[in-house]
Amino acid sequence: MRILIVEDEPTLCAQLATTLQAAGYAVDTAANGRDGGYMGEVEAYDAVVLDLGLPLVDGLTVLKRWRALGRAMPVLILTARGDWHEKVAGIDAGADDYLTKPFHMEELLARIRALIRRAAGQASAELVCGPLALDTRSGRVSVGGQPVSLTSHEFRVLAYLIHHAGEVVSRTELTEHIYAQDYDRDSNTIEVFVARLRKKLPAGLIETVRGLGYRLTCPG
Amino acid sequence: MPGLRPAVSPGPRSLRLRLFAGTLVWVVLTVVVAGWALGRLFAEHVERQFQTELVTHLNQLAAQLAVDAEGRPGLRTALSDPRFARPYSGLYWQIDRVGEEGAAAAEGGAAAAEGGRPGVLRSRSLWDVVLAVPGDRPADGELHAHTTQGPDGAPLRMIEQVLRPAERPELALRVIVAANAALVAEPVARFQRLLAIALALLAAGLALAALFQVRVGLRPLAHLRDGLAAVRDGRSHAIDGRFPSEIQPLVEEFNAVLARNAEIVARARTHAGNLAHAVKTPLTVLANAAAQTADDAPAAELSRLVGEQVALARSQVDYHLARSRAAAAVDVPGLRTPLRPVLEGLLRLMDKVHAGRGLQVSLSACADGLAFRGEAQDLQEMLGNLIDNACKWAAGRVEVRAVDDAGVLQVCIDDDGPGLPAAAREAVFARGVRADENTPGSGLGLAIVRDLAELYGGEVDLRDAPLGGTRALLRLPLAR
Repeated sequence: MRILIVEDEPTLCAQLATTLQAAGYAVDTAANGRDGGYMGEVEAYDAVVLDLGLPLVDGLTVLKRWRALGRAMPVLILTARGDWHEKVAGIDAGADDYLTKPFHMEELLARIRALIRRAAGQASAELVCGPLALDTRSGRVSVGGQPVSLTSHEFRVLAYLIHHAGEVVSRTELTEHIYAQDYDRDSNTIEVFVARLRKKLPAGLIETVRGLGYRLTCPG
Repeated sequence: MPGLRPAVSPGPRSLRLRLFAGTLVWVVLTVVVAGWALGRLFAEHVERQFQTELVTHLNQLAAQLAVDAEGRPGLRTALSDPRFARPYSGLYWQIDRVGEEGAAAAEGGAAAAEGGRPGVLRSRSLWDVVLAVPGDRPADGELHAHTTQGPDGAPLRMIEQVLRPAERPELALRVIVAANAALVAEPVARFQRLLAIALALLAAGLALAALFQVRVGLRPLAHLRDGLAAVRDGRSHAIDGRFPSEIQPLVEEFNAVLARNAEIVARARTHAGNLAHAVKTPLTVLANAAAQTADDAPAAELSRLVGEQVALARSQVDYHLARSRAAAAVDVPGLRTPLRPVLEGLLRLMDKVHAGRGLQVSLSACADGLAFRGEAQDLQEMLGNLIDNACKWAAGRVEVRAVDDAGVLQVCIDDDGPGLPAAAREAVFARGVRADENTPGSGLGLAIVRDLAELYGGEVDLRDAPLGGTRALLRLPLAR
């Protein structure tokens, strides 16, 4: 799961990045509306944290442009003013939720998890696929109730697949969603992560669809 | 601003009455003076004509006067005017013998007494009456005018002249022509009656014209009042339209004051917003930094303290921001916020934010014309907090309805949540009190709503909702 943070206050931006990375997300950051807008246009993100008061291009304009271009990823806006009209304007521009500064990081994480889940059409905080269960709140994975230990990359691959359970996910798509922008990407490593996951999970859960990618099939 | 009320000048309070009364006084004065002057002029003219006529008759009489050998006067031919022949016609002549000067001087007083005999010759119209003549003795040839009583008791105007016939120069004859004074008074009276009617009509016409003029002249003031009322009710941000050049500068000045007022409020609001923005981002950073060190034993106490104080600072910033903004806007005229767009915006927001919970937020009633007499952001702040609160507590439904309740804007926000015990309802409006410490929020939302509502002269309270939960009832001034 990959998240973009667009926030001009460097300390807050760093805090957000640290918190989200610790929660298992791949994180990109931008410090102004122009860069952030561009990144949101060309990269694939599972969620965006967007401050409204940004230098160069303001948050609302960035958001409207993304929506006009058909970028549908969930966006959480941060507002400092706390004015309802700003919140309404944000929602009307295409935001999915808002947080008023100052906020608690737990609150932000909960909102982000809910947004990603909602975007994937999942209602519950705990995603279940046969014997496999992934608790988005704690980041814990279990098989038949037994905890499974995963590396952060393995977790991201599994989280993306389970959010899109039943769909075919290409390697490129997986690559886009598990690495941050400045990471040295190599689609071969995806195969390594999938192979490791298959070892840790019950056999047959992750199928290879030849020439297309992978699919997580939930029995029953 | 009671201290700034201008001193009221004496006289009627109404400008219309003042102008009209002024004009009326002038009209009446003019008409009266004109009436008097015209009446005088006409009376003088009639008088002069009458006098001229009398003199003509006198001259005619003198020309026909002849004296026979015995010294008895007679007329060679009768006078042409038939009125002299009709008895008591009102036009008379008479000839008196004044006396023989020369004889009088020779024979003394007796001769004079014997020689002076009035009415030796009279017009037929006099019948058997002899006109009494004042006893003065004018010089020969001199014209004298008198007033006396006629045969029928009516006042007479007469002129007399003493003549000496050429045949008997020692004989002095007083020739008198008299006419009824009514011949003068009557046309004068008739004229004055007509004049009075004509002038009264003229005065009435002028008064009507003045009334019309005042009405038309002051019509821009009525427009101005309408414009001001529109501004007061928030239907307009400035006084619209062109006014006469005497009023336009006033209107422009007033519009400038309004614009400046709005600018000041807008600037104050922007400043407050900027301040909030500037303070809140560092507060977020500080709180998060504190939270991150919360697990280290020595820093835990400090971390807790910072977290607590940041929360306090945030709520203070929110509270005073909302209050100062509202206080600035409450007295600004010309504010009008249509309700529907605000409610619809907030409901869109709630729909989206609470989409994951399957919450049904509906607007069950809100007429299109409903508007709040106040500032849009304040309305949003009040409704936003109340609806947000309802959404937090609702199990699955929130219903909003707005009505015009006898001139008051009334908004009901109902939820189907667990409800609030009656005893706790007032307490949640206190600053910093939260019904549930685990639900996010500053605990100031409802306190801000009550403060704002009261600043606008409205009210807000909580009661039981028909849906089973809580109903928030907000009453605010309605804009017409």
